Amino acid sequence: MSTILSLNNISKRYGIVQALDGVSFDIPAGSVYGILGPNGSGKTTMLGIVTDVLKADAGSFTLMGQTPSAAQRRKIGTLLETPNFYHYLSAYKNLQIVANIKQTSEQDIPRVLELAGLVARQHSAFKTYSLGMKQRLAIAAAMLGDPEVLILDEPANGLDPVGIAEVRNLIRKLAQSGKTIIMASHLLDEVEKVCTHVAILRKGKLLGSGPVNAVLSRDNFIEIGGPDNQALAQLIKQHPAFVQVLPAQDGILQVTFRETIDPASLNSWCAQQGVWLNHLQMSRKSLETAFLELTNN
Amino acid sequence: MLQIIKIEWLKVKNYRTFWVFIGLGLLAMLAPNFIIHDIFVKNIPKEAQQLLGQSMYDFPLVWQTVASVNSYTSGIFSLLVITLVSNEFNYKTHRQNVIDGWERRDFVLSKLFWVVALALLAFLTSLVAVLIFGGVYGKAPFSMEGSRFLGYYFLQVLVSLCLALLVGMLVKRTGLAIILFLGYIMFIEQILVSIVKRFFGNIGGLFPLQAGDELLPFPIVEKLVKFSGPYDSVVYLTALIAYTALFIWLVFRRMLRTDL
Repeated sequence: MSTILSLNNISKRYGIVQALDGVSFDIPAGSVYGILGPNGSGKTTMLGIVTDVLKADAGSFTLMGQTPSAAQRRKIGTLLETPNFYHYLSAYKNLQIVANIKQTSEQDIPRVLELAGLVARQHSAFKTYSLGMKQRLAIAAAMLGDPEVLILDEPANGLDPVGIAEVRNLIRKLAQSGKTIIMASHLLDEVEKVCTHVAILRKGKLLGSGPVNAVLSRDNFIEIGGPDNQALAQLIKQHPAFVQVLPAQDGILQVTFRETIDPASLNSWCAQQGVWLNHLQMSRKSLETAFLELTNN
Repeated sequence: MLQIIKIEWLKVKNYRTFWVFIGLGLLAMLAPNFIIHDIFVKNIPKEAQQLLGQSMYDFPLVWQTVASVNSYTSGIFSLLVITLVSNEFNYKTHRQNVIDGWERRDFVLSKLFWVVALALLAFLTSLVAVLIFGGVYGKAPFSMEGSRFLGYYFLQVLVSLCLALLVGMLVKRTGLAIILFLGYIMFIEQILVSIVKRFFGNIGGLFPLQAGDELLPFPIVEKLVKFSGPYDSVVYLTALIAYTALFIWLVFRRMLRTDL
């Protein structure tokens, strides 16, 4: 698989703040790559360097295997931080400017306006837009010319729940069509639902990068419940593959096993011991838990 | 470059402030000439007219008169340059332009385009003013003698616009940039010129805008007090070209290196 973006030892300092500290990783083509990290961890700084609005103090990077230049940026749809448009111009006229800078056809404008749900307001001035509409326009601008690579910095910012779901679906569809998506977010729920790879930043340092499950180890566990959970907790400790039991919410037990357990066989084992389960669910440690464990160390 | 000019056109085409500035700028170049023409040529007593000699709006003097009068009013275009530059910083569209696929150099070129375009507009408007006043109201036949003053004027406007570009790029905030620029052209430079002239002599006449002023003395006043500079015109011209180059170099240096 070819590499879309390759970072090599990138460092950036703002006064006394080390925003990025020797960050290196590769983003393979066709991946949905989440850049994760708490606020102020260096996500936007990293994407700013990649898009040439910020200058790195040290290190280098390549875009699509080449020395970065405007020619590559024209092939990437980017939404960085806030939506930046000419306040006095309409959505349509703003997109005309973007299309001309990207050297792509203006004929693609109706398609992206439709995609962003802005057709009805396309001739209103940008300054009259709500926060959510501005964000939608920024997404529309990033989609202009149907680029193979998208850089989305907090794409769901300012959107209502319907808008968030729409953006998530859009990202999924784009990913399915083979596009590479680089997405910075602190909303782990979002990343969990769409990303194939992650890089995790904290205070400018890269904590890990690669496929999601390799970076954030998330053991499978099973949630069980019975009429008497105390007795059930005692019983489950005798299971041959048992590792750990933790009380979860609503009187349910979270049990971790050494190996993958078939729920049917677990149910049958409990029944043989004389306990009938009234709750049985396979579960995974949420990305949020795994992320907090990793970033708090 | 054509692509850049097209994009700049898309940015201003529907921007009302831009057209107000252009209209005001053109008015400010033509109206004062009408007023001065009225006072010094139409309404002046015959005897005084003879004392002054040739009318200011007759060829060849009209070249110098229009250039000199307009050198006071073309600051409006400088304010337009500051507005266009600081708008980009306010809306953060300078970042977006680069993100979307401009080189940083292209952004500087896009604003340099306005510097050149507005300088040419000022030059052409002044040329039209010369032809109107000299041709329609003047009594002397057309003459190219003295047309060099319009060239000096073009260079002075160019320096002033480049200074505005630099201030806009460095200060970024519209209000502050305009106040600093106006303060500089209205009195700060004058004070510096006076101080340097007093203590160090004629070199004080080589400040960016003063150098142009020294080349563009007002015709009648020039007769009453020695107004034009002591150096040869070439010195002032060289200074104007050097300032233009310096300001453009500083703008490039700033925009190619800084975080946007």
